[in-house]
Amino acid sequence: MTTVPVRPPLVRSSDRLIAGVCAGLAAHLGWPVRNIRIGMVLGSLAGGAGLAFYAWLWIMVPTADESARRNARRPASPIAPAVSQPPPGTQAGAPFPQAPGTAAGPPRWGHPDAGAAAGGAPGSVDALPGAIYAAVARPPWFRARGLRYGKEILLGAGLLLVAGILIAQLMGVDVPLGTLIPAAAVLGGASIAWMQLDETRRAGLVDKTKADQAGGWARLAAGLALVVAGVLVMVSGSGSWEQTWLALLASVAVLGGVVLVLLPWALKFWRDLESERAGRIRETERAEIAAHLHDSVLQTLALIQRGAGNEHDVVRLARAQERELRNWLFQDPSRDAGQLSDRIKATAAEVEDLLGNAVEVVSVGDTAMTEGHEALVQAGREAMLNASRHGGGTVSVYLEVSGGRAEVFIKDRGPGFELGNVPEDRLGVRESIIGRMKRHGGTASIVSTPDGTEVRLGLPAINMDNAEGKP
Amino acid sequence: MNNVPGAPTGPIPPRAPVRVVIVDDHAIFRSGLKADLDASIQVVGEAATVEQAIGVIAQERPEVVLLDVHLPGGLGGGGREVIAGSAALLATTKFLALSVSDAAEDVVAVIRAGARGYVTKTISGAEITDAVFRVAGGDAVFSPRLAGFVLDAFGTAPADIAGDELDRLSARELEVMRLIARGYSYKEVAKELFISIKTVETHVSAVLRKLQLSSRHELTKWAAERRLL
Repeated sequence: MTTVPVRPPLVRSSDRLIAGVCAGLAAHLGWPVRNIRIGMVLGSLAGGAGLAFYAWLWIMVPTADESARRNARRPASPIAPAVSQPPPGTQAGAPFPQAPGTAAGPPRWGHPDAGAAAGGAPGSVDALPGAIYAAVARPPWFRARGLRYGKEILLGAGLLLVAGILIAQLMGVDVPLGTLIPAAAVLGGASIAWMQLDETRRAGLVDKTKADQAGGWARLAAGLALVVAGVLVMVSGSGSWEQTWLALLASVAVLGGVVLVLLPWALKFWRDLESERAGRIRETERAEIAAHLHDSVLQTLALIQRGAGNEHDVVRLARAQERELRNWLFQDPSRDAGQLSDRIKATAAEVEDLLGNAVEVVSVGDTAMTEGHEALVQAGREAMLNASRHGGGTVSVYLEVSGGRAEVFIKDRGPGFELGNVPEDRLGVRESIIGRMKRHGGTASIVSTPDGTEVRLGLPAINMDNAEGKP
Repeated sequence: MNNVPGAPTGPIPPRAPVRVVIVDDHAIFRSGLKADLDASIQVVGEAATVEQAIGVIAQERPEVVLLDVHLPGGLGGGGREVIAGSAALLATTKFLALSVSDAAEDVVAVIRAGARGYVTKTISGAEITDAVFRVAGGDAVFSPRLAGFVLDAFGTAPADIAGDELDRLSARELEVMRLIARGYSYKEVAKELFISIKTVETHVSAVLRKLQLSSRHELTKWAAERRLL
């Protein structure tokens, strides 16, 4: 696996014992996670090198969620649904090259080589690792070999270690408890506090309201208290309680004073950061909108100016542009695409472009496409073509899906025609509309009066139920 | 473009002139609309913002206000806010919403605020003239798209006896809405259903009332799903 040319980016995985560093490193290097963990422990025994390395990676390497979020960073705004699908040419129009650039940069940031050398120069070839990361987001060993009771085992090992030390002391071995306990307290406190910070990072600053605030603060405070107590005891040399209390009081007072002085600064910096981030998001959005308008509306306006003499062309261009813009502005991204109403609308747009007459679609209800619905769309297309060609004005299309039954009505205001008068060799109406609907178990009827013609197509629910099984 | 079901299909009988105020923030659109409107429609005032509109309407007391859904000024409520600001005049002044947007939230919001109808800005001068007379006469004007919204919101199943009368459409009202959504004019609807045009107008007005007053659970759910609330 080490021969794989491009490695997954170094991120801390969500499958973790402490902070997911080992698992992330294992995924990155392609080694078994157990080896890495053992290596870390051994390294820690060697003068705490492993510990330092672990802590360093903990701080520097982003979590998998964080990385994914940065890769998928999308501006959130009322019109974001449309903006979030970057139109072609975004890069060219964007005055902020770092907008798409940094988005995928951080995974490289924590790369062992790059991290030491460049302390955060964002990678320039970034889209690639992001895509690959998505592909290997969950290597199979995550679930297969993930230690289910990892935390409990760790806790047990810790307790066993403590018990061993106590027993050793009882048996007369000289254990420097006075140094060990405070050191353990400092380590434990720091771990707790960092894990909490990590949780916050995982939950994301954006949805921090969702993170368990009270519990989080409690954990952070507990961690801090442990560290402070440990440091105190260590420094004061495990002296008397009064001494420790005095020192504690003094240090808390000093800490309080420092916080008091620094808090306004911190708040100010935080607000600046927030507003800058919001500003950048706005700027990116604006750039995307500008790029879109440039590619669509401005081009169309130029075309309209050049072809101003030909009314038909102007109307057609204006309609096509209006449709495109509406689609961009109002499309609901949460809705499933490729439903029947989408197909009918796309078909109407096609007919509109082909013949230049407006085709207005009103749809009520929707359903997934089946073979029968495909036939319905095709028959509808034929009817729209006829209506647009012979009706010569706006064509009204109405689609209703209720209780699985789909109906399409196509109405024009042309002079009308008599089905009996249509020559036998003209297959448009007979074959493409009536015949096609009958073959798929549907119905088709044509009502023509001097005021206009209406084609009524219906597809019963049974047809849909038969095909319900397939997606 | 037969966007309005009440499109004139025969010679228009001479009518008493109707006094109209046009509210739209685009001067080009206002002048274009003024030029397009029939001579029997007298434009007595124009306004470009919410505040201006409320002022002009209170001063001129027109019979019909052609009201753009999106307007600058006020609290950002657009046309809805103009209607709310002119609530005292609703008995004598009718509002006809005009919109370039066919987003359901805009349309349903102004209708529920008290507008008597909704048409898209692309319709012809003759059609809009007809719509103005219809609204002035106390009727409702439904475009096919508005009829589609109504069917979507109220569901396409006819009313059962148990339900609240405001929360469902009767079988007849559903039929009328369906035909309007299919692009039928009021006259064609009347012919299709073998009823008089006046009856069609009554049905449409009843639907409008339901749309304005219903607190139907499905309507709010429908609105919430489309992020209208």
